Amino acid sequence: MKEKYILEKRIEKGDFNKGGEASSKLKDLLRKLGVDSAVIRKTAIVTYELEMNIIIHSEGGWIRAAISREGIQIFAADDGPGIADLEKAFQPGYSTASDQVREMGFGAGLGLVNIKNYSDELKVDTKTGVGTKIRAIIHLV
Amino acid sequence: MVKKHSVLLKEEKCVGCTNCVKNCPTKAIRVHQGKAMIKGELCIDCAECIRTCAYHAKYTETAGLEDLAAYPYPVALVPPSFYGQFEQTDPDRVVAALYQLGFKGVYDVARAAEAVSLQTIEFLNEHEGMYISSSCPGVVRLIKIIYPELLADLIPFKSPVELMAERVRQELEQQGVPPGDMGLFFFTPCPAKLTTITNPLGMERSYLDQAIAVEKVYPAIIKQLNQEQLTGVAGDGPVPFLGISWGQSGGETTILKRKKTNGILSVSGIHNVKRVLDEIDRNNIKGIKYLELSACSQGCVGGILNVLNPFQAKYNLQRLSSGDQQLVERNTGEYNFRLSRKFKAGDVGKLADDFDLALEKLAQLEEEIKVLPGLDCAACGAPDCETLAEDIVSGRAQRTDCIFVLREQVGKLADRMSELAHALPPVMKKKKGD
Ligand SMILES: Nc1ncnc2c1ncn2[C@@H]1O[C@H](COP(=O)(O)OP(=O)(O)OP(=O)(O)O)[C@@H](O)[C@H]1O
Ligand code: SF4
Ligand SMILES: [Mg+2]
Repeated sequence: MKEKYILEKRIEKGDFNKGGEASSKLKDLLRKLGVDSAVIRKTAIVTYELEMNIIIHSEGGWIRAAISREGIQIFAADDGPGIADLEKAFQPGYSTASDQVREMGFGAGLGLVNIKNYSDELKVDTKTGVGTKIRAIIHLV
Repeated sequence: MVKKHSVLLKEEKCVGCTNCVKNCPTKAIRVHQGKAMIKGELCIDCAECIRTCAYHAKYTETAGLEDLAAYPYPVALVPPSFYGQFEQTDPDRVVAALYQLGFKGVYDVARAAEAVSLQTIEFLNEHEGMYISSSCPGVVRLIKIIYPELLADLIPFKSPVELMAERVRQELEQQGVPPGDMGLFFFTPCPAKLTTITNPLGMERSYLDQAIAVEKVYPAIIKQLNQEQLTGVAGDGPVPFLGISWGQSGGETTILKRKKTNGILSVSGIHNVKRVLDEIDRNNIKGIKYLELSACSQGCVGGILNVLNPFQAKYNLQRLSSGDQQLVERNTGEYNFRLSRKFKAGDVGKLADDFDLALEKLAQLEEEIKVLPGLDCAACGAPDCETLAEDIVSGRAQRTDCIFVLREQVGKLADRMSELAHALPPVMKKKKGD
């Protein structure tokens, strides 16, 4: 069955100015739905990290979100280049970010670690040369 | 009835211009039938609307010096920022002037501020993570309403003024002053602090009795200062110059840094505060242990009830706290920092109590947003198109409140009318040349 998204947003490669818009928007929607504030906080962090990874490491992609009584699903899908070594990517401190990106305060290598810590379920599909699809689920309460 | 807010509207002065509507940080204002209306549950008393109103239609009501008469034993609690209102006069002369005006005791909130700083250092050493100063009531209310997820990050201490007031009550009682005789007056630089007397944060009731706007005591003090023979009792001990620096944004930081506590950031002005909290929300501020936030730009010296412009006042405070001053308050044991209640989230923002209904309304909201032009012109009386859409979905506004939607509908109606006007009855013949 096709999910009905409450949020669907295109994320462009290198578009740092708009970094954070998807997570802000989602936070706003969840508040309108009366979702518990701790859940909102987790969702905002996960979405922001997914969004920034698309901006920094990929060729561009989409952030989508759906919600049901069980939880919030956040989908990140991008057009490549894929993550070569997933195990490494999830190690705290591992980052392939350029010096320029590090100068902007990113590249601590903690994004995926936070995504994992703050979500209740996580699924990563990645293929080098094709792209990365990540689904994070955060339970409601 | 207990007043919940201090920011009020003079209806006869409001022209319905929507400047305040657009500038309110919590989107609490709407203009209806040419008059601004504040939604109480959203207002944080930050006074941003008083600042932006060119017509002086918004105001705040505080006590005055005449109210001293109601108390056999009136005492004054002076906030740090107050001393910034005087360019040449040092704190001890200001204190003497206050005694002349009839106060039987004058107490520096700056002393409690120093104590809070010391206690904060201890707290930060004992706790991992990032914490936010809770001394500005405007900021605390903003967090309650828009950032409830950050409530647990607020330093769980009473504000300096409440700490001082609690201590003053105890001291006076020990001196034999009956509690019923005491009148604790605070000179408030802002409506937000005034509101905490009737609507306290993190406690059942305030230890203060009255607040007088700084601008209301100021002329009387200046008059006293101009009298040659200003003698009187000095304050209760040495002047807490370092605590006085709390009156400006960055003052807390000064003390914390002296005590080798690092990782502090100070941000002032309610819109800047929102921006930094947005970043905190996304976990996008790194390395910070403590955030000193004030709703007014430049800190308490920027409060709208002050007399001097915030920049001069800030400079004056810096003059006072320069040099190698020492902390006056070393004994934090005199204060009871613990809040008696938790900071509670405001129950605002959701479209419906029931989750499924809220989802349904969210879908309707998306539809309404599509109908509106997205210009955020505020001519409808709401701050932006999205907020009007929300008001429509919750039944508080109509589509035709939007002048563009209205114009389009009038246009369609006019087209239809002209169509009808040109549809000739069959019995009439076309005129020649038509
Ligand atoms: N969408 C993606 N496409 C390709 N590579 C990715 C993607 N997301 C992450 N990576 C790779 O995984 C590494 C680790 O990602 P992670 O988000 O943990 O850290 P970071 O983005 O480098 O730094 P930080 O998130 O702390 O700013 C990245 O440096 C990058 O090599
Ligand atoms: S005081 Fe602040 S929150 Fe209240 S209506 Fe005015 S601008 Fe909005
Ligand atoms: Mg990252």
